[in-house]
Amino acid sequence: MAIFRNCEGFTRRESLSLGLGALLGGGLTGALRARQPSSPPTSCILFWLDGGPSHFETFDPKPDAPAEIRGEYKAIPTKVPGMFFSENMKRLAAISDKLTIVRSVRHDQNNHGAGNHYMMTGAPTRIPVSCGAFVSFHPSMGSVVSHERGAGGGLPSYFSIPSMTRSGGPNFLGSRHAPFVVPDDPNRAIFSVRDVTIPSEVTDGRAIDRRDLRARLDQFVRFQDRAAGDPVRGLDENYNQAVSIMKSAVAQQAFEVHREPDRVREAFGRTGLGQRALLARRLVEAGVPFITINDGGWDHHSDIFPKFKTQGQALESVVATLIEDLDQRGMLDTTLVMVMGEFGRTPKISTLPGSKTPGRDHWSSAMSVLVAGCGSPRGQVVGATDRSGYAAMEKIYGPENLVSSVYLKLGIDPGKILYGANGRPAHLVSDPRPIAELM
Amino acid sequence: MAAVFLIESSATAAETTPRVTFEADIQPLLTRFGCNAGACHGKSRGQNGFALSLLGFDSDFDHAALVREARGRRIQTESPANSLLLRKATGQMPHGGGKKLDPNGPYYPLIAEWIAAGAPRTPADAPRIVKVLAEPPTRTLKPGESVKLKVVAVYSSGERRDVTDGSAFQSNDNTVASVAGEGVVKAGALPGEAAIMARYMNHIAVTAITIPLSGSPSGDAYAVLESGHPIDGHVRDKLKVLGITPSGLASDTTWLRRAHLRLIGRLPSPEEVLAFLADKSPDRRGKVVDKLLERPEYADFWANKWADLLRPNPYRAGIKATRSLDSWLRQAFRSNMPYDRFATELVTAQGTSWHNGAVVIFRDRPEPVEIASMVSQIFLGVRLDCAKCHNHPFEVWSQDDFYGFAAFFSRIGRKGQGLSPPISGGEESIFTLDTGTLKHGRTGEPVETKLLAGASVAVPSGEDPRVALAGWMTDPANPWFPKVMANRVWRELMGQGIVEPVDDIRATNPATNGALLDFLAGQFRKGGYDIKKLIRLVATSRTFALSSVPNERNAGDLRNFSRYYRERLRAETLLDAVNDILGVEETFSAMPPGSRAVELWTFRASSLFLDTFGRPDPNQDPPCERTSDSTTPQVLHLMNSPAVNGKFSQEKARPAALAASGETNEAIVDKAYLLAYGRNPSGKEKAEALKVFSVSGKTRKAAVEDLFWALLNTPEFVFVD
Repeated sequence: MAIFRNCEGFTRRESLSLGLGALLGGGLTGALRARQPSSPPTSCILFWLDGGPSHFETFDPKPDAPAEIRGEYKAIPTKVPGMFFSENMKRLAAISDKLTIVRSVRHDQNNHGAGNHYMMTGAPTRIPVSCGAFVSFHPSMGSVVSHERGAGGGLPSYFSIPSMTRSGGPNFLGSRHAPFVVPDDPNRAIFSVRDVTIPSEVTDGRAIDRRDLRARLDQFVRFQDRAAGDPVRGLDENYNQAVSIMKSAVAQQAFEVHREPDRVREAFGRTGLGQRALLARRLVEAGVPFITINDGGWDHHSDIFPKFKTQGQALESVVATLIEDLDQRGMLDTTLVMVMGEFGRTPKISTLPGSKTPGRDHWSSAMSVLVAGCGSPRGQVVGATDRSGYAAMEKIYGPENLVSSVYLKLGIDPGKILYGANGRPAHLVSDPRPIAELM
Repeated sequence: MAAVFLIESSATAAETTPRVTFEADIQPLLTRFGCNAGACHGKSRGQNGFALSLLGFDSDFDHAALVREARGRRIQTESPANSLLLRKATGQMPHGGGKKLDPNGPYYPLIAEWIAAGAPRTPADAPRIVKVLAEPPTRTLKPGESVKLKVVAVYSSGERRDVTDGSAFQSNDNTVASVAGEGVVKAGALPGEAAIMARYMNHIAVTAITIPLSGSPSGDAYAVLESGHPIDGHVRDKLKVLGITPSGLASDTTWLRRAHLRLIGRLPSPEEVLAFLADKSPDRRGKVVDKLLERPEYADFWANKWADLLRPNPYRAGIKATRSLDSWLRQAFRSNMPYDRFATELVTAQGTSWHNGAVVIFRDRPEPVEIASMVSQIFLGVRLDCAKCHNHPFEVWSQDDFYGFAAFFSRIGRKGQGLSPPISGGEESIFTLDTGTLKHGRTGEPVETKLLAGASVAVPSGEDPRVALAGWMTDPANPWFPKVMANRVWRELMGQGIVEPVDDIRATNPATNGALLDFLAGQFRKGGYDIKKLIRLVATSRTFALSSVPNERNAGDLRNFSRYYRERLRAETLLDAVNDILGVEETFSAMPPGSRAVELWTFRASSLFLDTFGRPDPNQDPPCERTSDSTTPQVLHLMNSPAVNGKFSQEKARPAALAASGETNEAIVDKAYLLAYGRNPSGKEKAEALKVFSVSGKTRKAAVEDLFWALLNTPEFVFVD
């Protein structure tokens, strides 16, 4: 086990004793929270299912619809009477009394680029964009949370693992609110978050000398006017964040997933996704307010049924473990867990030109969003779609309302007005009313 | 409504035609109120059993849906008010889309009248819409000022009708200028530009709104662009309209570093910097550009950019095929292959995937619909993929256009081993079949080859339709082909496209400087599609030589090239620069020793450095696109990664060699600045840098290492300025 190193602020001895004394047992909460008494109360772990997961094969089955809509899977009862999930969501069904399913979020952006943007930022794209687009017209939830909340202990406030989502960027909020991306797979034996410590052959003193020299030699002109959008100022923000991570014992230890007991690691599943969820929980313990787990491959135009047996079950198992784990630790009341993508899928099963197996296509008029924790009601369904799952029919909400709910739960006023680089006002969310049933 | 009055004023039409008809009056309202939008009834299978064609592209279908389906309940001629169409739209019956139509507004009686008249179609011989105009086409507004747009439809009869009331409007930047339903545009509080799109039926028109900066620039504010170079003229004209003034010229050394990084992706050597500074000839910049374009690095640098666009995922197409395409691209840029030939050879490629790299694009995209989307986007800047399933929602492209275009790829024959991921190791032959048809995705009918915005083309049996397609693409009359590449090259040199994204050229995504783009495209075409000539044209302009430092009248300009836009170096360029400066070599798998990052032909040659700095990786899910953003992990990687750190202290690296040499400390500092920044240090910088040699306990070698470490971790190194 590598002993982490730091440069300023913390002594090695301090960190080491912290590590051995409080951390080897697995749970970080006490030790880390104790180091930052003003740590923010609530956090969010978002499972982003890129591509748009089917609502039929997850949380809104339509057992009475004709076969071409119903699909291959049965609806199963869950722990909450009257609440049904698709049969591959067995473990979540067993803990449905801990979560809320919103079946009535809808919007009007049927392509990946625009749908991603709308759900991730709460704002529609300003100009029409198409499927392949990675666009940013408005700050993402994570960036807003970073901007409004910050994280203590030298940690970035917004993580996106293992990669950034398409519209997960900070837009005008600036580089320091971009997600900190951890690409490495925490399921690998030698996992460490790369480059967050100074290399072993460089002494602390020399590292400080180097940074000092760098500061003195850095004469590159910065454009002070924010409207100029100087990317160098973004780099400065990245640099400051980098140095604070290097100095932060809290940060370093949060990354060390291997400190978790084997039984915990096994429970989350020895997969990249499982261990990422575990890493996310450790980051929450360390005070990080927003973590996105970016999981790709949910654009099931074809092969949808076999995929829900493998990919669908793998996901629900990880989500269920995380919710149970948080609940057992008493963290579910302060941690919001969400599972969603850019939209739902078409009711009618189709085989597109060029495909050999059936699937469902993009469908933004209905989708299901799983919400757990942070004061969300336990064991409830919000809204409903019609009998074939075409459209949200009851308690219809937009992405604005969903995103507003997240902000409120994280202690942020969704009606706030922020100012872009050139002084343009931007409403944080244009419709700041939350989903009342979640609050 | 206005349309109705106009019809009335035309005596012949009034006698023979009912007052309100479907195509002319009703269908536009379905678009205006969003009924046929993609998320509502315009979705391919409709909404709640009621389907309309997306944004009204199929009048027959829409009329049948309203009049004949649902047992006729949508339209009740005897009692129009009981029609589902009116009851749902007004919210009298539950409607998922909410209340769309005001029963007391002007459109309710119009629709009711149409229903009462028996829901008549517009007669087939009635004049068709030829185009739609937004008036005024351009307009300059003061902050807060408003203007009402007028939308005019021009019919095949020559008649012009005001269709403002039936049009839908959208602004591409609501904060600059917003638009209300009736076409009233209101300027925001701040200067800027916006494009207002008006849609009437399947036609789109755009009004460009400009809100110039207030106050007037001084008389000589534009002198820097009075160079006689046509690019500078176009940029200057646009800046004058906006009231923005250009920055001054960048220093000689900034320009030289910029030219090297932008043309060949390599830093100038200290010798090159000193020689340039010593050269007092008036055309020394032109000479540098000419020399750079003849350097071998040019081909690798530009081929690498094209590899971003065309390189397949080796896990899908096979490693040998990936290599083969890469070699083809490098050879094309090495020989400065004219761009029309470049496109033609790719689009019409035949041969085996191991011997002719160009065919690999067909191996990677075996379906005609896949290759068609790629070809139209990359070479024409036309994004057709939406039109695969439905008509393009904000362009003129229909599903028929898409399949007509894809049909050019319907005679591709294949022999040998096709895709078999994840190895796909076999060799595949691509050739032309005598015949072949593509079936329309919706109708299932065989499709005729059809050019975009053009006629069907009959390709005789035995001929390759791709040849006809390439001929049309590269024809001097093709407006898209030279434009996309000119825009691409401009973006690679200037850090920002005239149109962004660079391959999405359409009326609703207007160029920030249309005259400039037209000029570049025209020059490119007239110059025989010589890419080097095009690069030279841009690189010798004053616009390319402007400083990045803003003045008080251009800080907010991020699109009109009033100053140079800084950009972080590309992953490969940055890694090669680190190695060049430190005098070390990288070892990549599957590459000979001493290879440069820009020579890599597959992302499977692993490099944490390149991954961290955003090289694309199509094997990620979601796929990882190239980005030029800077991130915290990048900063950490340059500072801390064991691999990068090791380079500073290697015994054979430059810092050790300099420390062991007889060079003075002053000379070492000069050299480090020339290597990293392409300039000499100022007196103050030199004094600061020299302090590193007098730190007690630090060896000379460690001092030189630290000096290089410090410079390579500053933004002046990481950015092209």
